[in-house]
Amino acid sequence: MTTPRWLTRVGVPAAVTVVVITTLLLVVLLGGFDLSRALRALWSGSIGSSYAFFSETLVRASPLILLGLSVALAFRAGIFNIGAEGQLLAGATAAVAVGLGFSQLPSALLVPAELLAAGIGGAFFAFIAAVLKRRFGVLEVISTLMLNFVARYAVSYLVRGPLQEPSHAYPQSGALPPAARLPTIISGQQTHLGLLIALIFAGALWWYLRSTAVGFRVRVIGAGPIAAASSGRIDVPQVIFGVFLVSGAIAGLAGGIQATGVTYALYEDISPGLGYSAIAVALLARLHPLAVVIAALFFGALEAGAAAMQRDASVPAVFVAVVEALVILGVLAIGRVRTQIAVGRLTAEPAE
Amino acid sequence: MKFTKNIVFINIAIVNLVACVAPKNEASTNFKVALLTPGPISDQSWNGGAYAGLMRIKDSLGAEVSHIQTKTPAEFEQNFRQYGANGYTLVFGHGFEFQDAASRVAPEFPKTIYITTGGTATGVNQAAMGFSFGQPSFLAGFVAGSVTKSGIVGCIGGTELPPVKASFAAFTAGVHTANPKATILVSYIGNWDDASAGKEQALAQIGQGADVIFQNADAAGLGVFQAAKQTHDVFIIGSNADQNNIAPSVTLGSVLIDLPRAFMLVAREVKSGTFKGRMIQLDTKTDVVRWVPNPSLPSAIPVNVTQRVDSIRATMLAEQFVMPPLS
Repeated sequence: MTTPRWLTRVGVPAAVTVVVITTLLLVVLLGGFDLSRALRALWSGSIGSSYAFFSETLVRASPLILLGLSVALAFRAGIFNIGAEGQLLAGATAAVAVGLGFSQLPSALLVPAELLAAGIGGAFFAFIAAVLKRRFGVLEVISTLMLNFVARYAVSYLVRGPLQEPSHAYPQSGALPPAARLPTIISGQQTHLGLLIALIFAGALWWYLRSTAVGFRVRVIGAGPIAAASSGRIDVPQVIFGVFLVSGAIAGLAGGIQATGVTYALYEDISPGLGYSAIAVALLARLHPLAVVIAALFFGALEAGAAAMQRDASVPAVFVAVVEALVILGVLAIGRVRTQIAVGRLTAEPAE
Repeated sequence: MKFTKNIVFINIAIVNLVACVAPKNEASTNFKVALLTPGPISDQSWNGGAYAGLMRIKDSLGAEVSHIQTKTPAEFEQNFRQYGANGYTLVFGHGFEFQDAASRVAPEFPKTIYITTGGTATGVNQAAMGFSFGQPSFLAGFVAGSVTKSGIVGCIGGTELPPVKASFAAFTAGVHTANPKATILVSYIGNWDDASAGKEQALAQIGQGADVIFQNADAAGLGVFQAAKQTHDVFIIGSNADQNNIAPSVTLGSVLIDLPRAFMLVAREVKSGTFKGRMIQLDTKTDVVRWVPNPSLPSAIPVNVTQRVDSIRATMLAEQFVMPPLS
């Protein structure tokens, strides 16, 4: 009586999706809004036209894929890195600083340099929390969360200080010159190279976790750090430290593609809490790198559709925020139920 | 499952139907106006005023209207583009922070006019509205400097934005004109929507002896009113919208931007086809910015102070007013 693995893998997210959409519609209906208009807007604003899909949904999904991978990788190793938001800001800042500082370089050098800087920036921000954890045993849940605020206010300072635009009137950086911007990959659409980068990272991370020795160690530590340490073959603190940095670097890269591919400058409000949405993405994907891509697309479509619902059916954005929060709760609840079923099954059929 | 499938099909059908019909409608009669606000329209201030403006355009000019609340530069651009693509005639981005996005999108949609309230970027189909907020802020400062007993006056802003800083500087000049020895406390909450943080800042300034506080923090500023209500003998001056009704017992008056009036000025131009992309400066003379004392608290401002304010305002209307050097 075992359900096939693929069914639970596909079934759970599918169930969540249905629940999310139903909840959203219920909320819209209860809020007294025009349901058919809202539905039409949700559809046409997310995947109902090629423009909506390529320029809205995919553009929103690109950073979410990378951020979701960042969170998924950390969670896989049992590291509760909820600092993707801060690491993203650090990455975006580093990318913009490099893009403005070396603007005379040719695009073929400058763009990779920006993205490299973004990765290093994100890794640096994770490094702070990683050192605190390793040396002093500071819980990363707290340190990474607090560092998100540090990053936010550091950006506020930088766009009013060293990185402020030349006229010194507005709290934002100067605009990146065209050579410092990520190219778009579909003519007439806003989809940028960052999407391809994100997809490559998803594939690479999937392969890495599945097929390499280091990936295996990461999974073992995530499954049981004490067992991993007891085996005597895994330097647990060392692996955790490394994974933490890589996780930060991927989140930083997400900030890099957002700054060089979408906003073309550093702003205080460059991220609408993408780093927090990423936790929902990773959980919905059950921490599977390839599933992260699908979950990120789902969230990208949801947010693009939500904007359209606001424009065309006057449904406030907070409704969608509520539904997104419900997704997280739903995923956690379903995970909990599954664990109980598994435990029940084990106790029911002990000798097998 | 079948049910959801049906919904999807119905949707495709509806979308196709709309796609076929819509362009004809747009071309003929529709005057479509959209507004992007950076914060919630429930703030009874900057964003609420803009929404009131949008509603007035809807009611007076018969426009079809749409509003969206957006926070990030990426969304500004995406929504500007969507409104352009959907045939909107006039799109307001409510704040200087929208100007980069407007400058990028406006050339792509020459039939749509993009207005930012604040900023300086202009184009053929792009204009920036500037508010000469300094003059009414000066008048408010003059009142504050006359009314304060402790000689300590506070300013609380959302974040340190250029128009807010300029308003506080003019306010300070007004305070010092009335009371050269007065001390000015300036603090920023760090955001525009956390009312409890606004309250904390206000209580901190009250603790330092401030008895008049000029706030410009939108939804976060609502906390400043709450702080004044629970302490004694502290007066608040509101910003952006007429905030005299939020807490009538503690409010001296409001430095008001008549956003509905400003929006209507532009919308009329656009509707009649006389609009030209430019910097639209709105001042005391256009009556878009003004100092409005709280009518339900007439005794708070002595008669001689009101008379002085009126005479200074007369010099402003006659364009003879000279702002003292700002610190």
